[in-house]
Amino acid sequence: MFDSIDIALQTSNLQVGFKTRLQNRVLFEPISINLTSGELVCFMGSNGIGKTTLLKTLAGIQAPISGTIKRHQSVAIVLTDKISAGLMTVRDLVTYGRYPYLNWWLTLHDRDRQVIDDAIRQVHLEPIADKLLNQLSDGQLQMTMIAKALAQDANILLLDEPTAHLDLNNRVEIMNLLRKLAQAGKTILVATHELDLALQTADKIWLATPEQTIVTGIPEDLVLNGTFDRVFQLKGFDLKTGKIQHTPYRNIGIQLTGNGPEFLWTKNALERNGFEVVTDATLKVNVSSIEGSVTFQIETNNRHEQFFSIEELLLKLSMPSA
Amino acid sequence: MKRTPSGWVVFIFALVLGVLFFVNVSVGSVSIPFTAIIKGLFYHTGIESEILWQFRLPKALTCLLAGGALATGGLLMQTLFRNPMAGPDVLGLTSGASLFVAVLLLASRYSSLLLIQSTWSVAIAASMGGAMVFLVIISIARYVQDNTALLIVGLMISAATSSFVSVLQFTSQADDLQTFMIWMLGSVGGTNWSELIVLASIIGVGLVLSIALIKDLNGILLGESYALNLGINIKKARVMIVVTTGMMVGVVTAFCGPIAFVGLAVPHLVRLVIPTADHKTLVPAVMLGGAILLLACDLLAQLPGSTHVLPLNAITSLIGAPIVIWMVIKAKRISV
Repeated sequence: MFDSIDIALQTSNLQVGFKTRLQNRVLFEPISINLTSGELVCFMGSNGIGKTTLLKTLAGIQAPISGTIKRHQSVAIVLTDKISAGLMTVRDLVTYGRYPYLNWWLTLHDRDRQVIDDAIRQVHLEPIADKLLNQLSDGQLQMTMIAKALAQDANILLLDEPTAHLDLNNRVEIMNLLRKLAQAGKTILVATHELDLALQTADKIWLATPEQTIVTGIPEDLVLNGTFDRVFQLKGFDLKTGKIQHTPYRNIGIQLTGNGPEFLWTKNALERNGFEVVTDATLKVNVSSIEGSVTFQIETNNRHEQFFSIEELLLKLSMPSA
Repeated sequence: MKRTPSGWVVFIFALVLGVLFFVNVSVGSVSIPFTAIIKGLFYHTGIESEILWQFRLPKALTCLLAGGALATGGLLMQTLFRNPMAGPDVLGLTSGASLFVAVLLLASRYSSLLLIQSTWSVAIAASMGGAMVFLVIISIARYVQDNTALLIVGLMISAATSSFVSVLQFTSQADDLQTFMIWMLGSVGGTNWSELIVLASIIGVGLVLSIALIKDLNGILLGESYALNLGINIKKARVMIVVTTGMMVGVVTAFCGPIAFVGLAVPHLVRLVIPTADHKTLVPAVMLGGAILLLACDLLAQLPGSTHVLPLNAITSLIGAPIVIWMVIKAKRISV
């Protein structure tokens, strides 16, 4: 291939799974797929479909059942495996990244120390570099594992659910970090369940379908052509608007006026509580924000009422007389 | 990984070991003055020199070697299985050795196995038993993917052999039983210089191999997947760790009997003193620590000022267990 410079990793007719004595358990149809340099790919699919196995096979930890993998660049992997050794500092764990380059006595050269320091800095771990692993939060541990993979000097990073069990802040931080690393030239494949984060950060999506194939594409294309809906069989989540679907069970239409985030969150609260926000209705709610204080006004025919929180507003609207 | 403090602790360990070795040589049922010890070490004349060279030095050297070997074996097993409960005997080698020694000592009346009556017969029987279990374990280690499976196999072999030993004990004569029980209690006093040379050379190879395995041991701490991704040959490392431990534990059991506790406790004690998971520090520190503990236990077993000698196994556990409990309570946790 002429354009093989851009291809970081390439599989042809790759079959992954488990070899047992009686029969091979193959997880996907033969996979012929490319990872292009500098792209952030999110690998999605339901639990237990074989994402981890494919990642491990791509990294060379597990042998493929058949087919070939061409790795044009070296691969580092971040798994969900727990590190049981507690008496190890963040820096010690990042140092492991240099192991492929070290002799049996683990002599660190200036270049190794440089790479370790860079990795720690890139993931912003300097303040906790000398902390023991068992003193870290899950998010910090995950960041440390990413730093270790960076210290490995590999151009391809494979990550298995790096944002699992993390709070929103940590999830966004990790995805932003991966985004930045991809922009700096790393090729990144992330197995994840975070649909919303994947849609907003990935250059490309690999989607494992129930038919055991892997569909690839740009996230927006997969949203619009309905592939996500088909694969995940989304229940009550409208991917095209990015929102949970609400049923307006109260059969009350409200004409909401206002703007900015105050308008959006009021709309959210009304819809969540079964009201329908429509363009024209006799029941009108106006949201206005003056110097940081928000007021909500209910107008019906000629009555006016003012409220200062959405909670009060909802309470009033829920009363039968309204 | 932090070098300076750990390096100092290892240096202090070496100093303590030197002092203990000297004290161990100086103390015994016959009191020998300090100057006579020094003289006896350099001039082979007189009864003092005879006692030193024939009894005390071989015993102290056996303590040194056996302690170092068992503790290192324990560390290797705890790392391989990533399990703080593992000791050098988890592979079942000790049980295999006891089985063969039991057959030799207890069933000899019926089968005249003790035809070749020599000091080596027990050692040879123990080595054969250990080697047999070792071959089983090695072939399983090459075959199974999973370390836990290996651990279970080792425990099962231990269970099976010890029940067989119980049957032998049940059916044997009282004085045979006593000989066997004494062997089971462990002893470092029975080795002569020719046995010591065998012990030293095999343990020497084992300790050198352990140091050569430092990178693999560190890698295994992260789990197999990460170790593989870091370019460590897990299969080869696993076999090498088992071979190294098997060699060292086998030869110690052959000459000293099944010495308990040292292998399990020393790695924990060392990690409580030097909180690290880096085998570059742990391996040398545990070697020295094992030698220190066994020399100290032997010193206590001699009951200073008395002519009685207590069984070594009783002392190692009696002294060691409270120390480990105290240190664990102090540190509030234990890790591999």
